[in-house]
Amino acid sequence: MSWVGKSLRRKEDDRLVRGHGLFTDDELGEGMLHLYILRSPYAHARINSIDTSAAEALPGVACVLTGKDVLEHCDPYMQLGPGPTAEILDYSLARDKALYQGEPVAAVAAETPQLAMDAGQLIDVDYDMLDAVMDVETALENEILVHDNIGTNQTWNGVYEYGDVDQAFADAAHVVKIDRLHFHRYSSTPLENNACVAEWTRHGEVEFLCNNNFAGFAKQLLAPGLRLPIEKIRVRTFDVGGAFGNKIWNYVYMALCALASKKTGGRRVKWSEIRTEHLLASGHGNERTYLDTEVALDGDGVITAIRSRHLDDCGAYTRYEPLGCVIFSQVLAATYKLRNIRIEMTQAVTNKCPVVPNRGYSRMQQLWFMERVVDICAHELGIPADEMRLKNYITDFPYETPNGCVYDSGDYPKMLDMAKELVEWDKWVAYRDEARAAGRHVGIGIGTTLDSGTNNFGQAQIMNPYLPFSGNAEACIIRLDFDGAVVVTLGTGPSGQGHETSASQVVADELNIDPAMVTVRSGFDTNWNTFVGHSGSYASQFAVTGLSAVHGACQKLKAEMRQLAAFMLEASEEDLVLGVGDEGPELRVKGTDKFVNYWAMSNIVNNNNAVLQGELPDVTLNVRHVYRPPFKVPDVEKKFGNLTLTYAAQLHIAVVEIDPATSRVEIKAYAAVDDCGTVINPQIAHGQVHGATVHGIGAAIMESFDYDETGNLLTSTFSDYCPITSVNTPDIAYGNIETPSPFSYNGAKGMGEGGGAPVHTMSAAVQDALHGAGVIVTDSFTSPPRVFDMIRNPNRETAVSVDSR
Amino acid sequence: MYPAPFRYHRAGSVAEAIRMLGDIGEGARALAGGQSLLVLLKVRFDEPTDLVDLARIPDLDTIDQGNGEIRIGALTTHASIARSELSTAIPIVGDCANGIADNQVRSRGTIGGNVCSGDPSCDWPTLLATLDAQVHCEGPDGKRAVPVTEFVEDLYATVLGQGEIVTGISFPTPAVGSAGAYVGFKRCAPAYPTSSVGLQLALNGDDCEDVRIALGSSGLTSIHATDAEAELRGKTLTDDVIAKAAEAAAAQAEPIEDQRGSEDFKRSLIDTLVKRGVGVARRRCAGETVEVSHEYY
Ligand SMILES: Cc1cc2nc3c(=O)[nH]c(=O)nc-3n(C[C@H](O)[C@H](O)[C@H](O)COP(=O)(O)OP(=O)(O)OC[C@H]3O[C@@H](n4cnc5c(N)ncnc54)[C@H](O)[C@@H]3O)c2cc1C
Repeated sequence: MSWVGKSLRRKEDDRLVRGHGLFTDDELGEGMLHLYILRSPYAHARINSIDTSAAEALPGVACVLTGKDVLEHCDPYMQLGPGPTAEILDYSLARDKALYQGEPVAAVAAETPQLAMDAGQLIDVDYDMLDAVMDVETALENEILVHDNIGTNQTWNGVYEYGDVDQAFADAAHVVKIDRLHFHRYSSTPLENNACVAEWTRHGEVEFLCNNNFAGFAKQLLAPGLRLPIEKIRVRTFDVGGAFGNKIWNYVYMALCALASKKTGGRRVKWSEIRTEHLLASGHGNERTYLDTEVALDGDGVITAIRSRHLDDCGAYTRYEPLGCVIFSQVLAATYKLRNIRIEMTQAVTNKCPVVPNRGYSRMQQLWFMERVVDICAHELGIPADEMRLKNYITDFPYETPNGCVYDSGDYPKMLDMAKELVEWDKWVAYRDEARAAGRHVGIGIGTTLDSGTNNFGQAQIMNPYLPFSGNAEACIIRLDFDGAVVVTLGTGPSGQGHETSASQVVADELNIDPAMVTVRSGFDTNWNTFVGHSGSYASQFAVTGLSAVHGACQKLKAEMRQLAAFMLEASEEDLVLGVGDEGPELRVKGTDKFVNYWAMSNIVNNNNAVLQGELPDVTLNVRHVYRPPFKVPDVEKKFGNLTLTYAAQLHIAVVEIDPATSRVEIKAYAAVDDCGTVINPQIAHGQVHGATVHGIGAAIMESFDYDETGNLLTSTFSDYCPITSVNTPDIAYGNIETPSPFSYNGAKGMGEGGGAPVHTMSAAVQDALHGAGVIVTDSFTSPPRVFDMIRNPNRETAVSVDSR
Repeated sequence: MYPAPFRYHRAGSVAEAIRMLGDIGEGARALAGGQSLLVLLKVRFDEPTDLVDLARIPDLDTIDQGNGEIRIGALTTHASIARSELSTAIPIVGDCANGIADNQVRSRGTIGGNVCSGDPSCDWPTLLATLDAQVHCEGPDGKRAVPVTEFVEDLYATVLGQGEIVTGISFPTPAVGSAGAYVGFKRCAPAYPTSSVGLQLALNGDDCEDVRIALGSSGLTSIHATDAEAELRGKTLTDDVIAKAAEAAAAQAEPIEDQRGSEDFKRSLIDTLVKRGVGVARRRCAGETVEVSHEYY
């Protein structure tokens, strides 16, 4: 029997539904201090002086931190970018200038959160407001500089060129030109905000309990930032209420808590973000503008070439950026087989909240772009959207893309078929055509999405050749405890994805026992020694990296158990079978009543080893395995190489009807078909698809971070930034196909991000509904007020042109 | 997310509340369900020195009918109004009560607090304007009743004087054969409406004998849509007449551009909602049971 492939109930849920989860903010403790962060009300302002005397005089205040303290005790965080970008000075508090609304300017640690906030209000900051630079194009003019010391706002520029683009345009039957497209700013707004508890112990170590979802990376940034050797930093997480990439960067706050602890003689300091802080300053998704797009097509509607300029707005700091300027190229041509591509990617800083990875990070911006291109070409050339895709889909796998990525497996036409069936395509096509004849706006949109998982960190070198990163890795330790219990320790730092459950399914299969007999430790701890530089839950990789590590550790443990059991039972290893007997998990000599259970084996190794008479010195029943995917360092010059190991795919179809009275985009039917290779736990996979779909629909119609021209964020509460709720969620018909990955031991592909699938799908559907009204969807945000404007100001004349020969 | 320090007092009676609020003066605020006030306190947009909790004052959470009018105590929650017989008898009341925010907010928030918030996005002032309601106040200088349209003077400002509280609201029992509807357009349940319209019709066949229309989230206070009323009153309801009224309401509205939409967008919503409201009210006038709810994104 196989446990993998079963919808085993999530082990985590037992504590979570009982309210016994342990989230960072639940951590209490005698004498704990609470941190309040005073933030800049301005997007761009010179800080002339900060008077903290009144705050410091308030009884109950333990310390006040400003940019001065940070300069005295910290070094700027490591920058990933090349050239001038490497010189960006990023600290946990602003020094002489505030660079975005909400940037931390001072912090107070006090006996209660209330007191800390009271004191924060007493801090007097003297600002001179400066003009803010609020869009990427203005930023690139360099008239207002965000970081004065680097002399430019441009943080990255590079050209991704493959094939013979000019020839393809010369040979084209049609050239479609698209003036300008824009992918809006939003984020995934996890249920749990950022939070951290830090203690600078008297041994000079810093202990963190936090909800960072990439602790291996955070540790490498925090140590130099706090001027400590790496081993002095311990990072723990337990239950995390969603991260979606957003929490990767919260080391900035972790360091502040640590510094406050240091300054107060090692008292524990807690900081718990409120929602408005989260929306204002915790990291937004990448905003991207696409200019001068030209598409070459042959007479059959097959796309042969694309050239375009992409401008990425990364906000005020390059945290994790400019990595997005390479990450997008994992899906450069999306699911399409064109081979001639020239995309110039440029990124700049602006006076907005820094961007951070966000569910579908940087790939969904590219996928949205490609899907827009496909739909715009289809509409302009009069080719149905489904046919257009079938003409252009990649069909042979493994497929090497023009930039050297290898798509492991997939079957997009089959997914399209399944999605059509689920959504009841023919019925809706008839409905649409009838409605159209009656003058109503009904549209059907298709979105094809890749969820590239398991990064090759070597791609970072395409962004900056001097970075010492490549490959990927994840670690796992399995041991038999004194009582024979199977204890699994992961390095993956989950944030709600059910790693404890999936890992126990894999172990159960390998040892031929029940998942209930497997204990997977909850949370993450750098002291567990299961941590490598890439450890974390990000980039859709657990099913590959995490479970391959578990699988590898199982093989090592089994080998040791066989050796030991063979010794104890005086049998040969080949005759041993693993299973569960009357005395629990055991190894048995096949067909006999000779067996040894896990407890007996563990006892010999741990408590009774004289029995071994010096034999089997390497058997510890405590094994560590590090999984390393088979990656090479990419060719940095040519921007060529395999950037990710697996390519899960989503195919979504939305049927929408736009109410002319309210401009509401009503979703009449929605289908989501997923392919993540071999499914470990169908219920978890379905949940991930559902969650990603709902997130994406919210992004398309409800959620947008909007700034005014002076840099005020207009959507800094959940009243204004309205995340999607169940009321807004349509029924989602879910389907699944499995094209096992040839590159993972289990055929699984990383999944869960869903690459913003509904964003492209909704854009496509809205365009299908309104194309007859002269509308080209050029922005990813299609809320009712936006749709209202689109209908009133049809843009087809200026947004697109077709040159056919 | 923590209010500045304040003193907490619990009033046992209306008289005691008035005395407490009067004695403390400027820095005091009445506290009812807390669903507007505590939100402001937590972000420290308001820092009162004292809160006088009204919630335990007896007999302010009742709904009574008689003498041709309906009286609702100030402390009656949105949820209990939604569940009440009143909401069945006069569906426009249920439309409003059920459409406010989500369960949590409805079970704490009160009609009195909603009106006292002076927030043009709050639903009750608009609904009550539609029903020509009076707000009953009691203070150091005694009792008075103020029409709801005058009670909310300006954005977040009411006529309440120092130490004065609202004890309830009342409105004339709608005439037999008349009916109304309260409809809004919203992003999601826990968000305030983008626009809303309350409309009460008295019909004789298809002839509009009387009508009252109020617009919510459409200006600094609820707007009494007199121009639209004039387009309907005394006329036979044809599509044309209704369209003119809707247009007039949209023109009289003074919506302000914000994250919920542009001025034009909101005017067009009002146009739509007036038409929708007339449609529902007509059917209800004819004795039909019509469930309406706000439209969500
Ligand atoms: C997430 C959320 C969504 C919401 N959405 C909506 C919505 O869609 N529509 C809507 O209408 N409302 C909405 N509200 C507001 C809600 O309806 C509040 O209940 C209501 O506005 C205030 O009533 P309260 O009893 O909670 O008053 P409180 O918050 O206690 O008080 C509000 C104000 O009125 C004063 N006050 C209260 N009672 C009296 C009294 N009897 N006499 C004198 N002064 C008094 C207080 O001093 C304070 O200034 C929402 C609230 C939240 C938190």
